[in-house]
Amino acid sequence: MMPEVGLQSYLLLGALLFVCGAVCMAMKRNAIGVLMGVELVLNGANVNFVAFARFNSTFEIEGQIFALFVIVMAAAEAAIALAIVLNFYNNHMTVDVDTAEELKG
Amino acid sequence: MESPGLLYVAATFLPLASFLLLLLGGGLRAAAKPVRDTPLGGSIFRGLGGDAPIKTGAYIATGAIGLAFVLSLIGFILFKQDHPHEAVEHTAPHQEAVEHAAGADVVQDWRLSPLSLADPSRWSVSVDWASLNMGSRPATTLSLGYHIDSLTTVMFLMVSFIATLIHVFSIGYMGDELQPTVEDHQVHTVDGHLRRRGRFGRFFLFLSLFCFSMLNLILADNLFQVFLSWELVGICSYLLVGFYYERRSASNAAIKAFVTNRVGDAGFIIGLLILWTYVGTLNFEDLFRKIRLPENDIANVATASSLRHRIVRAAVVPGEAPSRDGQKLQISAGGDQVVLFPEYSRHSEEVRKALDTGIVDAKFAPRTGQLGSMPYWVLVVAGLGIFLGCVGKSAQFPLHVWLPDAMEGPTPVSALIHAATMVAAGVYLVGRCFPLFTPEARLVIAYTGGITLFMAATIAIVQTDIKKVLAYSTVSQLGYMMLALGVGGWIAGLFHLITHAFFKALLFLGSGSVIYGCHHEQDMTKMGGLYPKMKVTAITMLVGMLTIAGIPLFSGWYSKDAILAQALGFVQEYPKHILLFLLPLLTAGITAFYMFRLWLLTFAGKPRDEHVYEHAHESPRTMTVPLIILAVFSVAVAWGWPLYDAEASVLNSTIEQSEPLSAKIEFATVHAFAHGSHALAGNLALGLVLVALIFASLIYHSRVLDPEEAKQQFPGIHRFLWNKWYVDELYSAIIVRPALTVAHWCRKFDTRVIDGTVDATARGVVQLSRWDGRFDLGIIDGLVNLTARVVFAVGGRLRTVQTGYLRSYILFLVLAAIGIFAVLSYFVAFVRAG
Repeated sequence: MMPEVGLQSYLLLGALLFVCGAVCMAMKRNAIGVLMGVELVLNGANVNFVAFARFNSTFEIEGQIFALFVIVMAAAEAAIALAIVLNFYNNHMTVDVDTAEELKG
Repeated sequence: MESPGLLYVAATFLPLASFLLLLLGGGLRAAAKPVRDTPLGGSIFRGLGGDAPIKTGAYIATGAIGLAFVLSLIGFILFKQDHPHEAVEHTAPHQEAVEHAAGADVVQDWRLSPLSLADPSRWSVSVDWASLNMGSRPATTLSLGYHIDSLTTVMFLMVSFIATLIHVFSIGYMGDELQPTVEDHQVHTVDGHLRRRGRFGRFFLFLSLFCFSMLNLILADNLFQVFLSWELVGICSYLLVGFYYERRSASNAAIKAFVTNRVGDAGFIIGLLILWTYVGTLNFEDLFRKIRLPENDIANVATASSLRHRIVRAAVVPGEAPSRDGQKLQISAGGDQVVLFPEYSRHSEEVRKALDTGIVDAKFAPRTGQLGSMPYWVLVVAGLGIFLGCVGKSAQFPLHVWLPDAMEGPTPVSALIHAATMVAAGVYLVGRCFPLFTPEARLVIAYTGGITLFMAATIAIVQTDIKKVLAYSTVSQLGYMMLALGVGGWIAGLFHLITHAFFKALLFLGSGSVIYGCHHEQDMTKMGGLYPKMKVTAITMLVGMLTIAGIPLFSGWYSKDAILAQALGFVQEYPKHILLFLLPLLTAGITAFYMFRLWLLTFAGKPRDEHVYEHAHESPRTMTVPLIILAVFSVAVAWGWPLYDAEASVLNSTIEQSEPLSAKIEFATVHAFAHGSHALAGNLALGLVLVALIFASLIYHSRVLDPEEAKQQFPGIHRFLWNKWYVDELYSAIIVRPALTVAHWCRKFDTRVIDGTVDATARGVVQLSRWDGRFDLGIIDGLVNLTARVVFAVGGRLRTVQTGYLRSYILFLVLAAIGIFAVLSYFVAFVRAG
């Protein structure tokens, strides 16, 4: 018999995903890579939402709805971010985020 | 003619119209001067004379005063028709008084002039000028008006006639002033003599204003109007004496004349205010009616007939305390109160009752028909105050010092103002206000006149400036008039006023002619022997000299004898005042001496200064004709038939018509004595005059006696007289110098204390604001700047946080999230733990 998979495991997975995404965002110089890190972070959060929806009956619906919202939002976010990256590329002929430093104080 | 008095009003306003015209012309010329390049401005400017003064103004002024003379002549004739002169013939003053005393009384007109048979409204009108609404107080209205009596008519004729002649004379005398530039040899500037524009028009402008003021003064029926004119006359004198105001001596003389007159006017104002407060009116007739017991109330009251036209004195009834609105008085000769009678008392029962019983119910604020009272000494002060004004204007001791200095003005001015008319104003006013003077005040007047006439005559003996001699002679003659009025010689004083005006104008114009002929040389020691060169002037001046000396049948003889007789009469009644006769008698001789000396020094003998003699010439006809006319009048103005009788002349009888009844009655015995001793006084004076004339010709003509020797023999007296009795020095020591010292102190106080305080305050404020500035810059601004600098520095540091590297942002983001998470967890754990 398979041991019962508890809430803790889900939260650990979510955290792992979150940390991987965050590290990816922080480390990658390629803008596409950064976007990928963002997706990882969002999905890490989604895992938490869904897990709480499964294990805490108070949030049964809310958790799932929130997960859906996050997915939709991630799609919109990806579309906008890719458009920005494309424009950035047109202007700088690269997608290295370290070259985007015009906004520094 | 309905109201012939208006003729006089018109005659008064003619010179004023001329004054305004000249003022307008001069003003227009001055206004057009800056724009004289434009066609309109240029034509106005050139039409009014351009750079050189024009004669038109003089013709306007002369025409105005000439017309005024014609009008007053017509007025005089009409007046004479209205007031036929008959009653006086058979009732000489003293007889009339006796008749009245016997009770042969008729209700006479209560007007000022006892013989005004005509309707009074034809000759006098008064209109309210300013009213004060003060309820029941008596004195609430200032009025302007005219009152013509025989004195006014005579004065009008005299003033307008002499003024006309002087205007004509001035057209010639002031000819120098017609040039565009006049060089004044007596004013030195850095580059030679002063050069200025001629002031021909201005001279006639001032003359016109003067004539108006003088005529208005004579015309006035109340003291207020007199006072207005009095001041106007004073300012005209100031302007004309200071006509050559660039000369220091002239401007000083003008100021001296003005200030000295101001001293007198202070007294005048005091007198006016006393009368206004206590008597409640300034109208002459009303004043006299209130102060003197009126004629009409005493009919059938035998006890009161001795009081008629007298100041009725009364004492407070013992035991009767004054109530709120009045007091009970007992009529008594030595009482300390004066009864004031109602203004309209023709049938006043109150007055009748008071006179019957001798008890007066005097109200403090009397209404119509009621009696009032005022303290006697206040009335004395009022009289003395008015007299002080006259002392100033008529140059009597001790205020005579301005007149000789006033000779700095042009000679026609000296003749018009300081000989004939203005100085006569004081004498005129004393005559006009005669019923207001108490016996004490009259004695002061007499002694003032006596001292003045003697003092001025002695000073005149040693003066060498021809105009100064005449000035002192004027002062002396005015003293005669004052003395005459003081001893009750009302007619004699005013008679002399008129004759003096003629001969003194003649003498002054004659001296003007001499000065003009000698090219403005006034020192008699440089003249001499001028007779062949200026015959007309010499002869007319000889006439004037004989007139003033009192040679029989010249007009001065009549008037001076009348004064001396009056003085002798007074002394006969009051022997302790014998000086009042001796002084004028002696001075009659002195007068003849110094006048003959003047004539001899000027016209007779050998020329003492070749330069002056060479260039001397007779004056033009505009100047000699007035001299001849004045000479004729000087001789004949007092003639009547029989020729030797002074009282027979038209002049004398006309003046007599105005004599206040109070003068007639109070001095009835004096008049009687004077009448008896007329010949004695006249002969004494004539003897002295002849001796003086012989003496003068011995000294100055045949040179039997040497004036230099006399001078050396009596050096003290000569120095005393030469320095004019040291009056100027005395004033300088006791008034002028202390005043200057006080002024210096005040100035020092001003510059040291007042200015010092102000300056110290200013310096303190400057210092304070300097500190305040430092505080502002250092502390307030410093704080603000420090804040800004701190913020700037912090910002500079913080900006490095914004690296622009996306990855570092994310790193911070994550770290912050972790941090927040950690804190939140800690707080949650804390809350859970409770």
